[in-house]
Amino acid sequence: MRQEIKIALRYLLSSKLQTGLLIGGVGIGVLVFSFMTALINGLTQFQIEQTVGSIAHVTVEPREREPRIIKADPSVQLLAAVLRDNTQREQIRPWQMALDTITADPSVRVAVPVISGNGLVTRGQAVQPVTITGVKPEQLSEVAAIAPAIVNGSATLDLDGVIIGARLAKKLSVSDGQTLVIRSDRGRERSVKVRGVFSIGIETLDERVVYMNFKSSKALLDLDNGISRIDVKLTDLNAAPALAEKFGAATGLKSTSWTEKNKRLFDAIQGQGSTGSLIKFFAIVTIVIGVSSALLLTTVRRKPEIGIMRSMGVSKTFITRVFILQGAAVGLLGALAGSAAAYAFCSLVYQVARRPDGTQLVPVDPAQGAYLFGILLATAASALAAILPARAAAHIDPVEAISQ
Amino acid sequence: MSNDSRQPLLSVANLTKTYVQGDVASPVLKGISFDVYPGEFVAMLGPSGSGKSTLLSILGTLLRPTSGHFFMLGHDLTVADEDELTQFRNRNIGFVFQYHHLLPDFTALENVMFPAVAAGLMQEEEAEHRAAKLLTRVGLGNRLDYKATKLSGGQKQRVAVARALMNKPALILADEPTGNLDRVSAHQVMELLGEINAESQTTFLISTHDAEIARRCQRRITVIDGRIASTEAASIGSEGMVTA
Ligand SMILES: Nc1ncnc2c1ncn2[C@@H]1O[C@H](COP(=O)(O)OP(=O)(O)O)[C@@H](O)[C@H]1O
Ligand SMILES: [Mg+2]
Repeated sequence: MRQEIKIALRYLLSSKLQTGLLIGGVGIGVLVFSFMTALINGLTQFQIEQTVGSIAHVTVEPREREPRIIKADPSVQLLAAVLRDNTQREQIRPWQMALDTITADPSVRVAVPVISGNGLVTRGQAVQPVTITGVKPEQLSEVAAIAPAIVNGSATLDLDGVIIGARLAKKLSVSDGQTLVIRSDRGRERSVKVRGVFSIGIETLDERVVYMNFKSSKALLDLDNGISRIDVKLTDLNAAPALAEKFGAATGLKSTSWTEKNKRLFDAIQGQGSTGSLIKFFAIVTIVIGVSSALLLTTVRRKPEIGIMRSMGVSKTFITRVFILQGAAVGLLGALAGSAAAYAFCSLVYQVARRPDGTQLVPVDPAQGAYLFGILLATAASALAAILPARAAAHIDPVEAISQ
Repeated sequence: MSNDSRQPLLSVANLTKTYVQGDVASPVLKGISFDVYPGEFVAMLGPSGSGKSTLLSILGTLLRPTSGHFFMLGHDLTVADEDELTQFRNRNIGFVFQYHHLLPDFTALENVMFPAVAAGLMQEEEAEHRAAKLLTRVGLGNRLDYKATKLSGGQKQRVAVARALMNKPALILADEPTGNLDRVSAHQVMELLGEINAESQTTFLISTHDAEIARRCQRRITVIDGRIASTEAASIGSEGMVTA
């Protein structure tokens, strides 16, 4: 193999311009590849964090009550009556066992019991309908990304405290420390203090949601032994659909993945993933075409030499290797250069392209360029691209080549 | 001649070659038979187009004949497969062509070493040693590390001769080896081939249409229109190249 490597390198070095252009071409291909990867991954993560960051990956809830079918006597013509049972509230009861089952799964980062119900908030003459969400104070950040969105007060949930959205606060003209009266749809009432005001930027959340202490909300919503749902966060987002199914089967409860609840977002993410894949695919195709055509030119230019090598008893395999090695070398060097350039470019975009408030203008994530994969892929693609020229070179007829 | 009592190195029996292009078949070799004995220095004469290059290509196993056989070192090379021929060529046949065809990116030394190291016949160090000796022998001992492209036409051809000798072939086939050279260089190269033949008993078969060069050879085979028109021994001398 040594001699093959030597010749391959000499060939590459002898036409520095062609080799340089070729390496540059592969480099640009890999740059596009890794930049697109970093962009798509960054974008996906950004979107998921925006949405999924404040929602559960899997939500476990009570089953919607099945309409109860009253079977008539089999001998009689079927006369089925369908009734819906509204006498009981939808709740998970008992819930500790279901929670433990879910928490025990190694893919689960955290599983949080949540109380949820409807109510009205009043302050003076102002009345606003709200959704009450009750969580344990230390688990608030698992249920929603509230802490970073606090604009007034803090994200604490003591027994008397609530955290409300900025729009609601404005409508009720309240701020941190002031008192509200909250009344649930179970007819219970309690006066609470505003501990924090958040602004997430999503209208309904900022206007409708009231976060409350788990214990206080249970009493307010009249759920002594039950909870409304379990919010589950996973270590791997992509495992959500599979785990949702698993939890559903294990607990007998209704278990839904975020991908189902946010189908539009999920489809959009998949769509941009496919677009990215297409662009990456064409970047690789460009590399293959470039390497292949450049090496074909080399075989034409080197035809007499290759002919003489064959006449000296050099095997076809030897000639084939010389060309595959050229492809691989060009691919590797180009890929290394392209990856370095991609990393530098992504880092630059990451640092420089920011809005005045510091958020990213282009959600590129330099850490997610899949550089190693890009390098391996481009090197392999270049080596494969060399197969055609290598075959052409190996099949050069020495007699014809020498008489040229 | 004493040669006749020995086994021929090369034995050609009724060889034909017909090139076929589309519907047109052009017979180029029309039944060639002759023997070459070890140590001989044979000139192949004939006008341009008579089929000399075609014959040398076939004997060099680069081209398959249409019919007939030829034997070298006891092997029928018309029936060997491609890999066998590649290896046979590497070990037993050296080529010198009209154009040197050196590897332009390599030095004189590397070019000469190449047939040995490419086939893994020798370690690099051993090959280097032998190549340097050969280059010194062809008068280029002070040009070992010159790039092939930096040498003159005559020097290149002498590197090509050294390269042909590298694997100690039994037979060297030279197709108009001086055809591209000026008078002086041509003379030097022919002298060199003759000397090597005399020193090492390497067998040479050299095509040329230069009667002057042919006169210096031990034996002349004349090919006309794809047939052997005559084979004659040189008038003076019986071993190797005619020294007059
Ligand atoms: N590959 C080929 N296809 C068809 N005809 C060829 C080919 N090579 C040589 N010829 C023809 O064969 C004849 C002999 O050519 P060649 O062997 O080169 O003769 P020489 O070397 O004696 O000049 C010429 O007429 C030439 O045109
Ligand atoms: Mg010729």
